[in-house]
Amino acid sequence: MERNNWIENILISTNGIKSVVPSDILFSKIQHRIQQENKVSSKTVWLVAASIAVLVVLNFSAIASKNKEKNSSSTAYLEMTVNKSNQLYQ
Amino acid sequence: MLNQTHFEKLYHEYKTLVFNVALNYMQNIEDAEEITQDVFVKVYHSLENFNQKSTHKTWIYRITINQCLDFIKQKNSQKRFFIFGKKSQNEQEYLNTATFEHPGILMENQEDAKILFEVINTLTENQKTAFLLSKLDGLSNPEIAEIMQLSLCSVESLIFRAKVALQDKLSEKFNHYRKKK
Repeated sequence: MERNNWIENILISTNGIKSVVPSDILFSKIQHRIQQENKVSSKTVWLVAASIAVLVVLNFSAIASKNKEKNSSSTAYLEMTVNKSNQLYQ
Repeated sequence: MLNQTHFEKLYHEYKTLVFNVALNYMQNIEDAEEITQDVFVKVYHSLENFNQKSTHKTWIYRITINQCLDFIKQKNSQKRFFIFGKKSQNEQEYLNTATFEHPGILMENQEDAKILFEVINTLTENQKTAFLLSKLDGLSNPEIAEIMQLSLCSVESLIFRAKVALQDKLSEKFNHYRKKK
């Protein structure tokens, strides 16, 4: 009996609960956060654009240096073969 | 501009609802304020994509509950990281009601309400959500079913099981209470 009464009292302890009104400054905090997020997003866009530009430049320079290397190695090979074929005495 | 006016209207209409759901869920005023901010920032960004399949109220309830669950998960994972502990079975471990006094509860019921919230926090996520929406928000079972996107039978079963679990846990608590006495 005592147990049941105790449990019942606990279960009804939230009866008559009143709504709590949030602080008035909450709305300005939310507005501030929205503005901040908008600022951050434009910053992020620029950051992403800059990263892509750097990546493209790096790719182009890598391709260019590879082509240069290829050209120089093919010239060297040509020189070597030309020298070989021009041997008059073996 | 229209979006901003609409948002302000929604905020003033639902700020108390969101704050109270978060407060009942988190039992902490700072956390409830943080969740209220998160919810309205989400509402602001999703307002354009809001489809009229559900009402604003249902939609905002859903966002609030998901935000509360995410917040608890995030806090629990931070806590685990710092103590290098393993994941607990109960996601509610972050919640601590020992010192919390709900500002909306009558002074004479504060001590009993503390015990009730402590026991509510041991329920499973869905049981806790269904029970809080039913008991503290006074929503009907069909409304809860729509918010939780479950069938009416599932909600009825969740609330029934929550009540049984609460009775069992309070019965155990009573033994401790009597020993102390």
